[in-house]
Amino acid sequence: MTANMDRRSLLGAGVASAAAAGLGTGAKAKAVLAPGVRKADFKGAVAAMRKVVGDEWVFADPDAVAPWKKSYTPDPYGKHIPVGAVCPETAEQVQAIVKIANQFRQPIWPVSTGKNMGYGQTTTAMPGQMILDLKRMNRIISVDPELCTALVEPGVTYRQLKDYLVENNLPLWIDVPTVGPIASPVGNTLDRGVGYTPYGEHFMVQCGMEVVLADGEILRTGMGSTKNPSAWQAFKWGYGPYLDGLFTQSNFGVVTKMGMWLMPAPPVYKPFVIRHRKMEDVARIVEAMRPLRIANIVPNVVLMMGGAYQLAMFKRRGEVWDGAGPITDEAVSKAATANNLGMWNTYIALYGTEGMIAESEKIIRAAFAAIDGEVLTEAEMKDNPWFHHHATLMQGGLNLDEIGLARWRGNGGGLAWFAPVAPAKGSETQGQVALAKQILGKHGFDYTAAFAIGSRELHHIIALLYDKSDPAEEKRADDCYRELVTGFGERGWASYRTGVHAMDLVAEQFGTVNRAFNAKLKDALDPNHILAPGKSGIA
Amino acid sequence: MRRAVALVAGLALAGSAQAAQKLGEAQAQRSPEQVYSAVCGYCHGKNVGPVIRGRGLPAEAVEYQVRHGQNAMPAFRPTEITPAELKALAAWIQTSAADPKEHGQ
Repeated sequence: MTANMDRRSLLGAGVASAAAAGLGTGAKAKAVLAPGVRKADFKGAVAAMRKVVGDEWVFADPDAVAPWKKSYTPDPYGKHIPVGAVCPETAEQVQAIVKIANQFRQPIWPVSTGKNMGYGQTTTAMPGQMILDLKRMNRIISVDPELCTALVEPGVTYRQLKDYLVENNLPLWIDVPTVGPIASPVGNTLDRGVGYTPYGEHFMVQCGMEVVLADGEILRTGMGSTKNPSAWQAFKWGYGPYLDGLFTQSNFGVVTKMGMWLMPAPPVYKPFVIRHRKMEDVARIVEAMRPLRIANIVPNVVLMMGGAYQLAMFKRRGEVWDGAGPITDEAVSKAATANNLGMWNTYIALYGTEGMIAESEKIIRAAFAAIDGEVLTEAEMKDNPWFHHHATLMQGGLNLDEIGLARWRGNGGGLAWFAPVAPAKGSETQGQVALAKQILGKHGFDYTAAFAIGSRELHHIIALLYDKSDPAEEKRADDCYRELVTGFGERGWASYRTGVHAMDLVAEQFGTVNRAFNAKLKDALDPNHILAPGKSGIA
Repeated sequence: MRRAVALVAGLALAGSAQAAQKLGEAQAQRSPEQVYSAVCGYCHGKNVGPVIRGRGLPAEAVEYQVRHGQNAMPAFRPTEITPAELKALAAWIQTSAADPKEHGQ
């Protein structure tokens, strides 16, 4: 019934009754307390937190917590459901909450804007945690138009920052992940996310943090802890061991401010797509692209979008495939061609003066003409929605087109990103494509994927799309994801990032010494393990 | 003449999606139009989510869907869209006219 209910009928007369039944939401998910936490501890923590942030900003009964339970990632056994939420508006309140969490041993899971869709949103790696929801902390502390830097709180969205820059006529660009409007520069950078301008590797352009530690102290990294700091957003390294990395993909502190570098708007921006028609062309594309990226002739993070991934953004699966089993390459190719797309659609852009762009364009055109790539621009692609989407992303523009992926396969909104990393060599592509198709196919899922080149590495970005309203399919998706992690892991392709559902398994791929080192840091910095236990496999 | 000036000022306001946020200050309460532009309108009417304007959707159901994220829609928490913003937004969606520029399935 749920699986077959279409979106229009849900929005029509039946909407209220569907809503009341909690269909297709996380509302019915049952949370349990963390190991060792008694009901009285939880109640004590909740009462103390209410005194810090006010009654209206602590959520502890199951219905009130519903908005934090929603996630696209698979959770067939209900292990990732938060037990509450607390929403501070200042770093001082965060300090007080951390102390309460220690007192009652109640674990808290920080989120910035909670919109890492397909990585877990506001659900947790281990059960029984309260979400430390930092969205209300959304101050843009400073923007320096000369140094091209900003200092922001975790709850600031890319949209808020963009609006500030536009309204103040500051010729600075932001760099966004694919869910930019509602996601946070702090959250995305801390998860080591990427975007698609020359500033696409977000942690590279991060500079200085303020961190509330598990003991309630405030640490400022880099130059931020000097007297009258002048270069907090200008110089990344400070003095002594470089600490900022410890607070990314980790649970060693709560980042309450983060500095970032912004790209000056270039005089001219020119987006391109390079179209290839055959699945096996991906190896040649990577070989052609690597030297261009390393030499920075192609200056931005490159996306090589597979045909099926592109189609899944704007089409329903039923429009292009009604056969049994996963969609075939032939069906993808046919639908891609009909939509002016290739099997691989490689998006790059040039930034600078007309003269600079013309010189680089000559080199790029020659490189791709040699491997039968069609190099196309706005002149040929016109209002093609896929070109428009990527042309928007590559200039730090905002859209949510890729959320469309979540309803490729039924209405249930199932999406889990699997993102293994390899060196940027053509020889690394075919084996990965074959292995992904084999594992996805075994579980009945489509190969909807892209490759990305940051610099010398190749990210394989596989969208595991499933119907979360079908419990059997959710279970299959969970099994499939785990098999992807271990199957790729055996071949030396481990993930750069994962969702809450697989953090422990991905950490296993990095070996026992690495895990033990992280465990020692955790014991030293957070002896009661109250900050986000389970994040990145660190208990 | 005065009428024309007022009209132009109104248009300029409508065009600016977000009230200016001042440095060091948290975002102030937004109008329904601002919330729709900054959040809802990226999917609804853009071929990602269904069109929701001009359909007389009951405000109560809109509020529920925003907080719970039915199906492929994410949920939006009171920290993202405040209770006051949501109440005004849901009422606005219920009575808003269809926008001919929007499209969706």
